[in-house]
This record gives sequence, structure tokens and C-alpha cells, in this order.
Amino acid sequence: MTVRNVSRRGFLQMGAATGGGLIIGLTLPGCSFSGALPINRDAGAFIPHAFLQITPDNAITFYCPSDEMGQGIRTGLATIIGEELDVHPHNMTVTSAGSHKDYANPEFGIQLTGGSNAIRAFWGPLRQTGANTRALLLEAAALDLGVPASQLATDNGHVVTDGQRLPYGDFVSTAAGMAMPKQSALKANTAFKYIGSEFTRVDALAKSTGTAQFGIDADIPDMVFAVVARAPVAGARVSAVDSDAALAMPGVRHIVPISSGIAVVADAYWQAKKAADALVIRWEDKPLKRVNSAQVRKDLDTALERGEDLEASSQGDVDVGFDVADSIVEADYFAPFLAHAPLEPVNATLHIRGDTADLWTGVQSIQGAQGLVERITGLPRGNIRVHNLYLGGGFGRRATLTHIVEVTEIAMAVNEPVQLLWSREDDIRHGVYRPASLMRLKAGVSNDGRVIAWQAQRSGGNITTDTLTTMLPAMLPNLPNALINGLSGLAKYVFSQWTVDPSSVEGLHETYDFDNYRVSHATVDHGLPLTFWRSVGHSYTAFAVESMMDELADRAGMNPLTFRLANTRNRPRMHGVLARAKRATDEMVVAEGHHLGIAAHNSFHTDVVEIAEVSVESGDIRVHKVTCVADVGTAVNPDIVRAQLEGAVMFGLTAALYGRIDLKNGEVQQSNFHDYPILRMDQAPAVDVILVNSGGDPTGIGEPGVPPLAPAIANAVFRATGQRLRELPLTLA
Amino acid sequence: MIEFELNGTPVAFHGASDTPLLWAIRDHFRLKGSKFGCGAGLCGACTMHLDDVAVRTCVLPVASVAGKRVTTIEGLTDNHELHPLQQAWVDHNVPQCGYCQSGQIMSAAALLSTTPNPSVADINNALAGNICRCGCYPRIKEAILSVAALTVTDETRAELAYDATAEAPSS
Ligand code: FES
Ligand code: FES
Repeated sequence: MTVRNVSRRGFLQMGAATGGGLIIGLTLPGCSFSGALPINRDAGAFIPHAFLQITPDNAITFYCPSDEMGQGIRTGLATIIGEELDVHPHNMTVTSAGSHKDYANPEFGIQLTGGSNAIRAFWGPLRQTGANTRALLLEAAALDLGVPASQLATDNGHVVTDGQRLPYGDFVSTAAGMAMPKQSALKANTAFKYIGSEFTRVDALAKSTGTAQFGIDADIPDMVFAVVARAPVAGARVSAVDSDAALAMPGVRHIVPISSGIAVVADAYWQAKKAADALVIRWEDKPLKRVNSAQVRKDLDTALERGEDLEASSQGDVDVGFDVADSIVEADYFAPFLAHAPLEPVNATLHIRGDTADLWTGVQSIQGAQGLVERITGLPRGNIRVHNLYLGGGFGRRATLTHIVEVTEIAMAVNEPVQLLWSREDDIRHGVYRPASLMRLKAGVSNDGRVIAWQAQRSGGNITTDTLTTMLPAMLPNLPNALINGLSGLAKYVFSQWTVDPSSVEGLHETYDFDNYRVSHATVDHGLPLTFWRSVGHSYTAFAVESMMDELADRAGMNPLTFRLANTRNRPRMHGVLARAKRATDEMVVAEGHHLGIAAHNSFHTDVVEIAEVSVESGDIRVHKVTCVADVGTAVNPDIVRAQLEGAVMFGLTAALYGRIDLKNGEVQQSNFHDYPILRMDQAPAVDVILVNSGGDPTGIGEPGVPPLAPAIANAVFRATGQRLRELPLTLA
Repeated sequence: MIEFELNGTPVAFHGASDTPLLWAIRDHFRLKGSKFGCGAGLCGACTMHLDDVAVRTCVLPVASVAGKRVTTIEGLTDNHELHPLQQAWVDHNVPQCGYCQSGQIMSAAALLSTTPNPSVADINNALAGNICRCGCYPRIKEAILSVAALTVTDETRAELAYDATAEAPSS
């Protein structure tokens, strides 16, 4: 048994800055790994680029650059490349790509999965890659067969000529010696064979048989298990520890102080967990310790009262708008802190052997995970192999990589491969959170139902600054800590004093034609770590905007859908979705005692309207059915699009009815599913999805179903009870 | 030492007798299909069958399964055949992240073994202990009903479309 200290000193070094990467709007020096492709070549296989491997016996592997967390991205991206390559996704092995610059998300410039953008961002590049590869295989076949390429066709992984079907694999050795065409013609949308058709997910079988490997399932011979005792108040460091009792417990091998707390390493998880509970730790004091939920709410209010808000965007003349409005409505809306609670708690397994390392985990940025191991160990990036397994839910949580820092610090102090697992209590108490938000809205409406003045203020914490603080060290492993701290501090200053973090106010006006509007923001940061939470700013702004729109429709004496139609004349896509929703509600037979509530929201380039059928019985809000009408442009796999909307309804409903993280003396009060409940099967509504396809390229689907759900329920509750619920979670008076 | 039958094979566990069955199965017997979600009997990710009854194994000390039959998702069928529920899961594109699904399937299989014709209310009762954070509930229900030896009547269909009203007085 050992007690060892981890020192990061000496591992940091300045590296050459090369290439270019775009991180959240800031151009920063090179952060992408550009060595050999992280692909194991099978015998005789052809690897034309980072995305495909084709063997002579026609085994086709697609290396999926985005992380599969349930959103169906492995199936979606395989379908996009497969369409142009002409291989059905079921005829490929789809696997998670390692870390390499070629896998960077084309929009982010780094390897990161989030923002509901993967299908949209890879749509063009992967189609082109598929088309070029198919053209190359055809040229190789033409050469081998002595037939002009124009007389050859393809069908699902085969070259077709004279009624013969010859596998692509027959031509890979010739293809390997030829140059890849650059701009082969893409298919017309009308010729799509796989895009737009419905088939089962490529991961459905593995996930129905218990064989899908998640991070937690990494099973390395001789691995030991780590549990970390963390500060009850975020960010506090250990000031004293008594580990005698823990060290004496069965199976305990090491006690390792790390940056976030004290790690216990044992032969089995259960032993490590029991021993971690036996540690006696005193923690340093933090300002967050003096923060309670009631104070947070008050501080958000005070910031707006004092006029600390900075303008984020505006148009027209709001004051004149209010002067001429027939009626004006003002209201405050509040949304609490939330945890993500993916069902698989975060975890990572790391084996450092001499100057090489292997990391197994499931994260939303495997590049970032690799970068952190590089930063902390000082090993060359090419010596760090990363294996991204399935993610047992992401929702934004797995873009924060604290657990990678922890497992690296622990692995450096022990000789065995080590698996770190967070408990559910760790997840809910020591995570990163959706910020609490206060939204103060004031709107003027004319009697004919036009919103002629719109003022939206928001106060609360900023997501982008906290995210930069955790992402910069991961994405720029060679940048010294001092510079990272400087940049994070600068970002904090910029976003609280100069300009508004776009994530903080997104969704406060964009859905509608507001001729005169003003959006402003006051930063109030209590020090609880914040991050993206499925649909980010929209998760709270839509609640405010759509509740207000409902109040305005009432004021104008209009049907809520007709009212929204009148305010989206210049937004044809949303207008079309609203019109379809109107038709759906006109046709609905609503049971006696049930009431409809509707909400619309544009986010991640997708337009969604949700219609909730709700009853209120003995003080309980019951949601019977939710109809989602959505325009995602071309739906790559319509059944997966429907599944995402169904799931978003359940995710949104959990937040609308139950979700709250409370602080007392800076400590998160909730800890597990008894006090942070997740919607269960017996409370799950039926979901009906109507896809409106206005054509166009695909837009986001992982997140856009969440924002309209809470306001749709709140608006239905108003119809049922006459009560306007302006705080989340929704609680009847 | 604690002896029991694991997926049809007699096994012995030599670790601490208060170790929850889940960790004995995952860490010692290296079967990783059963998952850890809460460690408190609240989410169902760890569901296995104990003598054919669905149990939450994260709170079940391994000592209490001595002499009993434990079945995990790996042993749900013989010879790696697909259980009809597993086929239905694939056909209905049920899984999203997939993490809860071993537990969901084990709960559903235990239900069908005693109640081959479950109503929607039976399904809700049997699976209320299994959280799906991704919200696959509508598809899980449809998949189970598709397997159930039940002719789905119009009445059941209506119940499915509106199952939340099952307890509502107005319906
Ligand atoms: S892990 Fe056993 S019920 Fe949640
Ligand atoms: S599929 Fe993700 S928790 Fe159920």
C-alpha cells in the first residue's frame, strides 16, 4: 500500500503551434493531432482516407468521427457516406474513430460532438468523400476489367457490369495505386437510396444484447478500481485528510491525493467505494459556500433591478413600439440549475506503460481526452492511444472531462491499469450544471395580433466561459497553465463586462418577426461550474418566450397557433411547421377534461412545434400525449429523427415537472434518483411525430425537441386551471 | 465462499459477502452486460433474474443469492439466440444510448414469463423501476406488446396511445 503525491510540475512544456483550429469563435493555435491515422490496417486493405477501410474480401469499415451517445450518429453518418459510396450501412462495420485532425468536426475545427451539428456539418464533406471513393473504385474496376468506367454501375458495395456483381474488394489493390478524384459528382436528392429510408440503427443489436461496450465496460487484465472523494462545495481543495481507516480496509491498494480530492484505489470497485466513504477530509473554504438557492434567485433579480444588463442585440425602436402597442404584458420567468444525469455515470480507464498510454472512455471529445492525458503526463501525443466506446448518454455532460484529469493523475501514481468510476451521487453533486436563469420579458401587442415591441432580459451565469476553462487545457495541451488561466480570466471579463455570451441569450427573439426588439444580459456568476445541457440556452429561453407568446395571444384574443402564424410571416420554414400544427390540432379529438398547450421554437436550425395534451387532476399535472411537428430538412433516417423527438419530449418533461438542483451553503442538495427524479414509464406520454420536409439540407435533431416542451405544458396548465406557472419545475399553487 | 448458479453454470464467489451481486458479476465474473446506474435500487440498470424474478442487484448482497439461480442478459437465452424481446427491440429501433436496455429487457422478460398477455398497466408496473434517461419508453412499450401473445385490439391500441390516462378518472 502506498500514499503518493502526484506532481504535474515538469510535465508541462511549450510546444510548437501549428495549423489552425476554431474553438467557439476564437481562433487559436494548432490543437489537432496530425500524425499517422489511428487505424489498424487489415491484410491487403485499402485505406483511402481517414473514414474508410476496404479489404480484398470486401469488409468495409467506416470510422465514425462523431461520438455515439444515443442520437444515432453512427447510423446517420454511415448513411451519408454510404449513399454516395453506394454501400448500405448494414453492410459496413461502423466503429468509433480515434483522435486525428481529419476527424475534426468541419464546423468546430476540433473533434467534438455537440450542438446538434454533426449531420449538418458532415453532410457535404462525407457525401463528397463517399462520391470520390466510389469514383476511384469505378476507375480501378475500369482498368482491371478493360471496360470504360461509363459502362460500369454500382450496387451496394459491388461494381455491376454485364449483369455481374463484383465486390469493391476486388479492385482495392488497383485503387490503392491511383489518385483520388477530388470533386466527383454528387447524387441528385431524388436518386437517394439510403438517405430518407428507414432501417434499424447499426447499433441496435449490440444494444439489445448487452454486448455494446460502454466506457464502464472496459476490461483490462489486472486493472484496479478508483473512487474519488470530492469536495462538497465545487472547486474546494483538500486542506487535511485522515486516510488511516480507509487504508486499512480490505482490497485497498493506494490512497492518492489528486487535484479534485482524494482517490482510493482498490482491487474492486465496491472496496474502493467503501474505503472512500471512510476517508475523513477537511476542505478549504470557498465563496460558493455562502450561496443558497434563494440567494441565487435574489441575486439574479438584483442584477436586473440595478440595470447591470448589457445589450446583446436589438432592432428597430422598442420604445416607440411600446408607445403604440394596444396592450403590454410584463412577466418574469425562472429556470433552476439542472444536472444532466446520463444513465452511465462518467468513467475512464487508463493504462500508462513506460512512455505509452491507452485510454478507454466514452466522451464527447476524444481529442480533448487525449489532449489532457498528453498535458498531464507529458507523453508525446502519438504515444497515447484513445479508445472511445459507446456513451451511456451525453446531453452535454460528456464534453466536460474532469474525470480524464482525475484518472490521469491517479494512473501516474500507480503501476496498474486503473478504472475510475463516478457514483450517481458524485454525478449529481459534483457535476457541471445548466445555469439558473431569470428572464424578464416585456412585450407590446396590437389588437390585430402583431407583436410590435419585444424586450427580453436575462440574468445568470455564462456557459461559454466555464466551458473554455475546461476545454482549453484539453484542446491546447502544450499551452502552459498560466496562459490558459489568463485566457479563461480574459473570457470571463469579456463576457461579463464587454459583450454577451451568445449561449446565455440564444432563443430570446429568433423564432419570430419582431420588428422592434432588444435583448440584454446581466452576468451573475456564483461559482458553480456550468456547461451545455441538452439545448443549452434554449432550454430556458424558450420557456420564457413561449409562455409570453401565449399570454400575448390571449391578450389579443387569438388562437395561440393563429397568433404565432401572424408573427412568422417572414420565417417561411417555421410558418410552414405552424400551419401543419394548426391542421393537426384542428383534427384532434381532445378528451373531456384534457387541454392543449402549444409552443414553437427554432433552435439548431430546426423548427419545432409541440402540442401537449394535459389534464390537471387532484393537483397533479398529467401529460397524456405530445404531438411534435418538426422541419429538419432532409431527414437522413426519419425513424431516428422521430426517436430523437420522442426522447426529447421525455427529457423536457423530466425538467418541466421535476428538474431542480438546489444549493445550501454551496452544496448541491440532490444526490440520486429519489430526489432528482427522472420521468418513468408509467408517467411517459404517447408521442406523435409529424415531419414537415421543406427540402433543404438536414438540420439539427438531438436538441431542438427539448425547448418547446416545458412551455407547451405550462400553456396547457393555464388552459386547465387559469394559473400561469412562470417557474420551472412547474408547481401548481 | 458463496456458491450459486450463474447463467446455468455453478460458480463460487470468494470476495466479501456484502459485495452487491452487480459488482460480483461485473468485476469478478467479468460479465459486463448488466449496468450500474444508481447503486440504490432506483434505476433498474442492474436488473437480473434471481430464480426467474427481476431483482435490482446493486443493492442485493451476493450472500443472499447462495444456492439460487442468477440470470444476466448474457444468459437470457441459450446458445446466443435472440430472445423474442431482443428481436422486437431491434425491429422497433428501441435503443438510443442503450445503457438502460439490458435492465429494461430483463424486467420485460420477467414480466412476460408470468404474464404473457400484459396490459399497458401491467407493463407500466413491471417497468416503472427502469429509468431510461434517453426516453425510449414509447418504443419499449410497443416492443413488449408486439411480443406479448396478445391480439392487439383497437381498445389496447387506444390505451397505448393514451396510456397516461390509465389512472385518470376522466378516461
Ligand atoms: S444500478 Fe441498481 S437500480 Fe440503479
Ligand atoms: S437508451 Fe439511454 S438510458 Fe435508455
